Amino acid sequence: MKDRLLAALHSSRADYTEIRIEHTWSSAVTFRGARLESATVAEDQGGFVRALNRGCGWGIASFTSLEALPAMVTRADELSRAVRLDAPIRLAEVAPSQADLILDLDGDVRGVALGEKRRLLEGYNAEMLGTPGVVDTIASYHDEVTEYWYANSEGTLLHERRPEIVLSGTAIARRNGSIEKGLESVGLRRGWGSAQHHAQGFREAGRRAAALLDAPMVKGGTYPVVLDPELAGVFVHEAFGHLSEADFVYENAEAREMMTLGRRFGRPVLNVGDNSAAPGLRGTLGFDDEGTPTQDTPLIREGILVGRLHSRETAAAMGERPTGNARALSFRHPPIVRMTNTYIGNGRGTFADLIGDVKLGVYACSAFGGQTLLENFSFTAAYGHMIRDGQVAELVKDVVLAGNLFQTLDRIERVAGDFQWNQMGGGCGKGGQSPLPVTEGAPHVRIEAALIGGDVPA
Amino acid sequence: MIGRVLAAVRGRVEAADVMWQRGDRTSVAFDAGRLKTCGSAEEAGINLRVLCNGRVGIAGTTTTDLDDLVRRAVASAELGEPVALAFPGRAPLPTIETSAGAVAEAPLERLIALGRSLVERVTRAGCQVNVSIERSVAETSVGNTAGAEGRYASTGLAIGVDVMRVAGNDVLMVYDYYVGAGWPTDAELDRLVRSVATRLDAALRIVEPPEGALPVVFTPAGLSPILLPLEQGLSGKAVLQGVSPLAGRLGERVFDERLSVTDDPLAPGRTSSRPFDDEGVASQVTPLVERGVVRQFVYDLETAARAGARSTGNGSRGIFSKPKIAYSNFVVGSPAVPGDAELGGGLLGGIADGLVIDDLIGVGQGNVISGAFSHPVALAYRVQGGEITGRVKDAAVAGNVYDLLKRVGGFGKDGRWLGARWTPSLLLEGVSVARR
Repeated sequence: MKDRLLAALHSSRADYTEIRIEHTWSSAVTFRGARLESATVAEDQGGFVRALNRGCGWGIASFTSLEALPAMVTRADELSRAVRLDAPIRLAEVAPSQADLILDLDGDVRGVALGEKRRLLEGYNAEMLGTPGVVDTIASYHDEVTEYWYANSEGTLLHERRPEIVLSGTAIARRNGSIEKGLESVGLRRGWGSAQHHAQGFREAGRRAAALLDAPMVKGGTYPVVLDPELAGVFVHEAFGHLSEADFVYENAEAREMMTLGRRFGRPVLNVGDNSAAPGLRGTLGFDDEGTPTQDTPLIREGILVGRLHSRETAAAMGERPTGNARALSFRHPPIVRMTNTYIGNGRGTFADLIGDVKLGVYACSAFGGQTLLENFSFTAAYGHMIRDGQVAELVKDVVLAGNLFQTLDRIERVAGDFQWNQMGGGCGKGGQSPLPVTEGAPHVRIEAALIGGDVPA
Repeated sequence: MIGRVLAAVRGRVEAADVMWQRGDRTSVAFDAGRLKTCGSAEEAGINLRVLCNGRVGIAGTTTTDLDDLVRRAVASAELGEPVALAFPGRAPLPTIETSAGAVAEAPLERLIALGRSLVERVTRAGCQVNVSIERSVAETSVGNTAGAEGRYASTGLAIGVDVMRVAGNDVLMVYDYYVGAGWPTDAELDRLVRSVATRLDAALRIVEPPEGALPVVFTPAGLSPILLPLEQGLSGKAVLQGVSPLAGRLGERVFDERLSVTDDPLAPGRTSSRPFDDEGVASQVTPLVERGVVRQFVYDLETAARAGARSTGNGSRGIFSKPKIAYSNFVVGSPAVPGDAELGGGLLGGIADGLVIDDLIGVGQGNVISGAFSHPVALAYRVQGGEITGRVKDAAVAGNVYDLLKRVGGFGKDGRWLGARWTPSLLLEGVSVARR
């Protein structure tokens, strides 16, 4: 394969050319209720070529027929030449790398029979189905191993073997007209070994769905809000992470102004970063899809904006250094600036310390989802508890947090010392590329005051 | 290709069906007003379903190794659940135009020229304009061992226009798009440009949001949180699983008697229209809600077999996954000539104080199928004395779709296609509006 890549690069007339080839084996098992929906093994392969010429724009070509590689190199060059640009596209310098990176497969999933995978998931599904009140479930298992090659005309030549494994469960409880759900999700850049011993999490999902049937809707209003590490992670990804992606600001003077390095975004307790080099997580990679080595990139240090996430193009445009955040969902897509493993750094003290002096507040836990629209965000906790007189009190449902990014970040007043990575499945969507594997991590954090939607007084 | 796959399974399985798809996409992207990227994408793949010992197996591939594909499908069936799945036989197919020469044959220069003219027409000071255009040309074949076989070519043109304006900490984003099987008419392009301009103009002034149970107009773009629970609840799968609030309510008046919803795979000029679905079932127009009465749920072959129902021709499959239920074109009311791009669709006159919702944040999160929604606004306008007075920020709307749709305050004159959905604006009364 490497020879084919080098020969194709050699044949290119473009000033800059890069090629990615991917070959993915995957298997998937899904249960709906007690019934198996499907158990399948799939094989997917294809390639991507991107070319750039002086005074021209990007030309890109993706394809599933690998025989077409030489023709696609020519096509990408022609497409690049079709774009005339006055202000040239520049790429920040990255030292060429040659590497063979075989990530820890942790039990190669390709050696495990599909029937084994079915049995494992059936057991987890049964944990949810066995809960009184649960009427339906969706349980899924997905694994894959990708052989990945990347080469560019500056001398970078990479081969990686990337595993991935995701388990997820949705328990649906219903009584009369009301329907509630509980979620469990596990996702890692590892293998079969990591899929074991998750029965308790699936059991919890079932119990939570059933318990929510009896839980009151949270009363809408402004409260002190404590986020659990999972929701705090989703929060930092949605509400801040996307703004730190340099492709949002690099062509827009006003947005650049808004995201000026050195601007205060929070109090000194707040530290935020993105670390693609942390081992075994879904966003973990040795190199990004432009061949830039990955790293731990600080974004907010002691409340001050200190960095942002870059591709080679955005880094050059802003006179900063590439951070290894140009990622593509697959060979079907071009690399764009994305997060990897995004985190709120550890603070001090325990969860009990965090809620001890809260008279009336909300403890918002886990996430059904989150979305940000630039400076506004909304995310939906999977469940919550009221905090009363410094103690965790009754379960509440429909906890939706909405707010303005700048206000809310500035209101993070305490950060506990119980950091953890959320090893969830799912992923991030941007520019039509979804779900890209990412991970978030955080300790418990306390927001001085935040708007909780729910039972909105009308 | 279908014939080759069916030949490869002969003697090894009881029955099988295959979808083969090949697509070419060409795209141009203008970032911040400049053409920056031209792209091309080619993809071909096969999805195979087999029945072995009464059990279903699935496999997909983008490679050309048919033997391996069949082996994987059979292995999948060994683990599969038994189902009395009957593939459709040869049947007359409706005639429908799915391909437009003007789109298929447009040279790259024509796509670039179209994008450039849109950038010029939308550009204004202080705003960043992005325009993307994607042209797709595809060929789809479906066949099975019961004798059904069909093939069609299709085209699609998608144009997205978005405008971003950052002023201090205020970020405003306005976007709209055109999607169709054919090249847009001048009138359609005018409407796209005017739609963006109208939304932008009305958004420049920021006003305080109101509060309380208020009349709210949801524009076609803003209706997603209202229609999503219906789309989920009318799925035969949700009914079979016992999680649809509409289960057991066929023939019952659940909604305002002026509300009708149809699945229409034969709508002319739409990219989701086709003569048969991905399981080879002939396309038909399916009334789902007629004058407020629930008439029909949508089914694919397997869900229909399990539910004792008939497929409504709503089977959809990708290269790698099992067929599942999907709407073709989800139509609220009846498609006509698209109405005016005026915001509010002529429904604002009687509103003393309320909102127009064009976009919300977080749609699709949470407990969608129950009908409950609660979202902050992404793009919304205040209506006072029957007129838009400006954009509101820092407000959230909430309610339950099943309550709100019992009585619709009005249907707008601005019906339009948005992708695979046709709808006018709807005026809903008593929507909870909160500010923060």
